Amino acid sequence: MSSHSETGKFHYHEPGLQHQFEDMGQQEESVSIGMWMFLVQEIMFFGGLFTAYLVFRSRFPMAFAAGSNHLDAFWGGLNTLVLIVSSLTMALTVYYAQKSNRNMQVIMILLTMAFGATFLGVKTIEYRDKFNHGLVPVQGWNKRVPADPNAEHETKPCWEVDHNAPAVEHPNPRGEFQFADCSLAKLAEGKTPEENFLTAAERIGYYSNGQIDGNKFRDKVRIFYYLYFVMTGLHALHMIVGLALMTWLLIVAWRGSFSEDYYMPVEMSGLYWHFVDIVWIFLFPLLYLLGRHFMHGG
Amino acid sequence: MAEHEQHDHDHIEHDHMTIPKYIGIFLVLVVGTILTYFAATVDLDFIFPGANTLVALLIAFTKMTCVMLFFMHVYWSPRMIWLSAVASFFWLAIMFSYTMQDYLTRDPGVFSP
Repeated sequence: MSSHSETGKFHYHEPGLQHQFEDMGQQEESVSIGMWMFLVQEIMFFGGLFTAYLVFRSRFPMAFAAGSNHLDAFWGGLNTLVLIVSSLTMALTVYYAQKSNRNMQVIMILLTMAFGATFLGVKTIEYRDKFNHGLVPVQGWNKRVPADPNAEHETKPCWEVDHNAPAVEHPNPRGEFQFADCSLAKLAEGKTPEENFLTAAERIGYYSNGQIDGNKFRDKVRIFYYLYFVMTGLHALHMIVGLALMTWLLIVAWRGSFSEDYYMPVEMSGLYWHFVDIVWIFLFPLLYLLGRHFMHGG
Repeated sequence: MAEHEQHDHDHIEHDHMTIPKYIGIFLVLVVGTILTYFAATVDLDFIFPGANTLVALLIAFTKMTCVMLFFMHVYWSPRMIWLSAVASFFWLAIMFSYTMQDYLTRDPGVFSP
């Protein structure tokens, strides 16, 4: 119980101070530590996915590189920049809240929301592209492309597929995961450990009867796409939660509730937003760029 | 109002970052992103296989450190916050290393052909 109710006399306390805290300093510290405990468990939450990524990539590096090369690094890089700008506007929101500048707060929150929405828009473009090209790793979740009965059957081995060729609409009547190109595995075949060799797991995982098997290779690429969708999907979910948070923040900031005396909700929402940005800082190179250096012949 | 003045000292210090400093950190992050992209297109496997990934992760760690220290104000935060931030990476390292010491010793993986 705070002292002013006991004495019945007016006793000044900060307008934002909750009664269980001694002073603003203690309240701010408690709030920060609570938020950081939440962020630590979020790090462990994403950490589980990064562990899965680490295990499978160390086993099938070439399949991961092949899968990664079919992601669009331009959209991925653009989204990284969009998130960094949104992080800046978020940081400035906190700055203006500390300066009790209500109008700039509202503007910065609106900008942060706009960049967050842009990120999700680009993500939608990317997901739709994967859907159209049969890269969603679940059967039936891809665009169904009926087979043309009059088309000539191509029987090219999978390593002769040119991965720089324009995207062809392969027939995909059941909406399955499709990946025809195993040229990276062929490239690494017979190379020494000093170069881009195949791991023992890959020698078992890609081959049938001593030949690279396009179907087996595709299944390993599918693991990459599974991780891609789970990791970016979970990240996108965090963005949506972040946008909801921003909407609430916008309403409260609009009313002019935050000032230099009380701005912790802005600061805490900022921590969450920056955390989501940090996750993407790691997802971008690990998902989009890992096989980029093989593209010019490796 | 004398008491008000006194209470102000109890706030966690927050007057360290200015707009030019925020812009500066932002520019570091943008340069880091561009650097990540172009470093990935250069084949660094002549150093050792996987050098590209190492470079990408080093840049990512630098960017993360900038965001955490200055955008998330960890630099001016109490020790307890530092501890939480560092500890989370410690637990993460335990998870990675104990998982991998199992997978890497079952049969030869990427680190031992």
